[in-house]
Amino acid sequence: MFAAGLLLGGLLSGLVLALAGGLVTPLPLAGRQVAAVTVALLGLLREAGLVPIRLPQNSRQIGQDVLRNPVRGALQFGFELGTGVRTYVSATAPYVLAIAVLLAGSPAAAVLAGLGFGAGRAITPLLRQASAAPARWDALLTTRLRAVALVAAAAAVAALALLFALSRR
Amino acid sequence: MTVPPGGPAAGREPAAAGPVDQPAGRAAGRPAVGPAAGRAAGSVGRAVWRCGTDPVGPAVLLGPLAVLAAVSVPVLTWVVLGGLAGYSLSGSV
Repeated sequence: MFAAGLLLGGLLSGLVLALAGGLVTPLPLAGRQVAAVTVALLGLLREAGLVPIRLPQNSRQIGQDVLRNPVRGALQFGFELGTGVRTYVSATAPYVLAIAVLLAGSPAAAVLAGLGFGAGRAITPLLRQASAAPARWDALLTTRLRAVALVAAAAAVAALALLFALSRR
Repeated sequence: MTVPPGGPAAGREPAAAGPVDQPAGRAAGRPAVGPAAGRAAGSVGRAVWRCGTDPVGPAVLLGPLAVLAAVSVPVLTWVVLGGLAGYSLSGSV
C-alpha cells in the first residue's frame, strides 16, 4: 500500500505539472530546452557546493497520526511522500526534474516523470529491507546521500542535454 | 520477499572464514564442499549482497541508464530521471 501511495502521489504531481506545462507551450521550444538544461547545470553546481541557492521546501515531517490505520495510513503516508511537496526536499534533482517537465510541455513526460519519482522513492524501503541489516543500511545511507544527490544532478544535466539535442535533429 | 544469500541468519554467522582457496573437504577425494569452503562461499555471497544493496547502488545504476535512455528510448528518460529524483530524497520523510 505504501508503494501504491508513492506512485499515486507521484502521478498527481506529474498531472499538476502537465497542466502547468500547458502555460509555457507558447514559448519557443528551443528556448525552453536551453533553459531546462541551464537549470539542470545550476542544480549540479548547487549540489557540488559551488553555487549557494536556497530552494523552497515544506520544512515539516509527515505526522505519525496518519499511520493510526495500518493500511490506509501506509497508503496516505506513501501518497504524501510521493507528491514530493509534503515534506523536506533534501536534494536538487526533484526541482530540476519539475522545471524540466514544466518546460518540456509534454503531458506524457510529466506523467512518466511523476510515476518514476514515486517508484524511485519506493526503492529506498525496498533496498533497506533487502539489505537484511536495516540499521547498518541507514548508517551507510547518511554517508552516501551526497554521492547519490551528485549522481542524480549530473545525470539530469547529461540526459536532458542529450534528450533535447537529439530531439532537434 | 528477497532473502540474502545464505538466508536471513547468514549475517549472524562469525565473519571469520578461511581463505577462498583453502582445500577444505578434499580428504578422501571428496569435492571441496566442506564447512570451510561453505563458510568462504557464504562470506563471498554476503560481501556481494552487501555491495548490491549499497545505498549508492540505485543512483549508480540509474544515472547511466538515464543517459542511455536519452540516446536510445527518449520517452524512458523521464521515468529514469524521475526515479533518480525520487531516490535522491532517501532519508527525507
